[in-house]
Amino acid sequence: MAATPWESELTQALAARFGDEILEFSSYLGQEFLVARPAAVIPILEWLKTEAGFDYLVDITAVDYPARAERFELFYILYSFARNQRIRIKTNLPDGGRPATATGVHLTANWLEREVFDMFGIEFAGHPDLRRILMPEEWQGHPLRKDYSILTQDQAWVRENLGIESAQ
Amino acid sequence: MADPTFLDSTELVLNMGPQHPSTHGVLRVILKLDGEKVLGTECVIGYLHRGVEKIGENRTYQMFAPYVDRTDYVASVSNGLGYCLAVEKLLNVEAPPRAQAVRVILTELNRISSHLVWLGTHCLDIGAITPLFYTFREREMIMDIYEKYCGARLTTHAFRIGGLQYELYEGFEQECRDLCDWFLPRVDEYEQLLTGNRILVARMTNVGVLTAEDCKAYGVTGPMLRAAGVPWDLRKAQPYSGYEQYEFEIPTGKNGDTYDRYLVRMEEMRQSVRIIRQAADRIPDGPIMAKVPKVIKPPVGEVYVSIEAPKGELGYLIVSDGSTQPYRVRIRPPSFINLQSLDKMARGALVADIVAIIGTIDIVLGEVDR
Amino acid sequence: MRKLLRRIFLVDLVEGLLVTFRYQHPKYITTEQYPAERPKVAERYRGAPRLNNNPETGETLCIACNLCALACPETLIVVGSERNEQTRRKELTTFTYDTSRCMFCGLCEDACPVDALELTQDFELASYSREGAIWDREMLEDGPRPTKYKY
Repeated sequence: MAATPWESELTQALAARFGDEILEFSSYLGQEFLVARPAAVIPILEWLKTEAGFDYLVDITAVDYPARAERFELFYILYSFARNQRIRIKTNLPDGGRPATATGVHLTANWLEREVFDMFGIEFAGHPDLRRILMPEEWQGHPLRKDYSILTQDQAWVRENLGIESAQ
Repeated sequence: MADPTFLDSTELVLNMGPQHPSTHGVLRVILKLDGEKVLGTECVIGYLHRGVEKIGENRTYQMFAPYVDRTDYVASVSNGLGYCLAVEKLLNVEAPPRAQAVRVILTELNRISSHLVWLGTHCLDIGAITPLFYTFREREMIMDIYEKYCGARLTTHAFRIGGLQYELYEGFEQECRDLCDWFLPRVDEYEQLLTGNRILVARMTNVGVLTAEDCKAYGVTGPMLRAAGVPWDLRKAQPYSGYEQYEFEIPTGKNGDTYDRYLVRMEEMRQSVRIIRQAADRIPDGPIMAKVPKVIKPPVGEVYVSIEAPKGELGYLIVSDGSTQPYRVRIRPPSFINLQSLDKMARGALVADIVAIIGTIDIVLGEVDR
Repeated sequence: MRKLLRRIFLVDLVEGLLVTFRYQHPKYITTEQYPAERPKVAERYRGAPRLNNNPETGETLCIACNLCALACPETLIVVGSERNEQTRRKELTTFTYDTSRCMFCGLCEDACPVDALELTQDFELASYSREGAIWDREMLEDGPRPTKYKY
């Protein structure tokens, strides 16, 4: 990605506080983002909420890059009403990585993390109620992973619950 | 402690099932009740999950646009606008001014249309059946304009990446102006029917209160946030598609209860009429489509673009890997995130208030489940 | 005092009822009596697909370029063609269109370079079987023939 480096007083304050936990500050097409280590994400969210006024968590989502060693890239998008600014926090997780939950910092993260768990299989440590939200509870597999083909269907689920052989 | 008698209440778990006339779609709410008071709720969603985000990874950028309409099917033009703006940002092109003006007109008509559905169905749930017929009659006129412009009433696929596909038909501006002239007295009529009505006032005030701090904590946007007193609207804060040229106000409320949300949405309809009048008076001439290649292959990167949909902040995060198909399309659904606050608003309310609260969040299950 | 009178005499409810009673006049009827009167749809309406023929010669306008099949998000168009040895051009043999999966988005109509494939104003596409929804070339050229009810 043709990202350009991002420098501002916010990045300097973050770098001063977190040091090398933050791997890069970049900006692409005018949208700023930073890449951090997984363990530092929740402290960064807290610091941004209390010190910098980023009190609104817009979205939590993930992208699956199966070719990489750290397969999942987790996105947190934050917005500050006071500054009218939106930033993204990205972190890379391996398969089986368990990031800490953000529900202590932002209450929105409850359902958003449940959806990330449902679609990708990323478990969030400390989440009050981590279960599937969009798929049925007994579903096997995580649909938005790249190795889950768009034509896959859980044959066992169809056999048990509908009593027929799946027509695929 | 005395022995429990027949009159002592115990906790009752009641299922407001996926098939229910008041849940605006297939939403299942499990209520824990103590008599008539609600102790807690739990939403079970996913009945309309169609895997739109997975489909997005297997279609080209232009092919995915019709699928996006079907998430928030009541306000499908806004979805198309958000998606086209996101892909245009990835490609670093901007739609020409004529296309932007027409996009604003159609999107504001869409806002009126979505709020009319909200008004009709919300008041129907509360018990006033008549407004439903009147709002749907107005909606027919708006859908007639859509049909004449792009060919479909509900799932419009009106915009293309880079601008518009269809040139305006003869008399488009005049029809929009006529609609505005016809519509504004109708809003006054709805107010006459509903706003002073003591039944409505009794059922809506102090029901479903969500303060501004709660809204920010739960990530709630749109008319719910404005009714809590925060004058934040993405059309003013981070304008897109030429909104900075038009004058309009942001209605806010005071208490953050259902009645304030009702007033905010009614006033938003009036402000939308104001924007449409201004835009229809000065649609610039020029091309309707920017220079966009036939095969769209954006450079590698990711972008997040959000617009003010009628229900809240609708965002698209598109990750491109340089090929003709997006690598990941994430739709940030306002209804999904607003629905989380149902539990907070419902505690301590009565069962009849649950219906009013679900109606006031203004959810569309297509967007909640995608 | 005024507020008390308004409450006792149900003034706010009466105001609402005035609006409702005003609409009882027959000139406000907006119901269309379908199927006796069919609605007039717009010219650009995206309804049933149709394969156009050249009005003078009666031959098909389709040049079998397959652009519509490539543009369709649901890949439900199958264009069969064979090469005509004399004119060295492709000629259309079979054309299959699956209306049961079609979402009437109009991308095929936009893609056709010769305006052979067009989405018309027909919206009555029901059939009695699933196979009846898969249209072949003849059905596409003639159009669906819905039953017209006589009163």
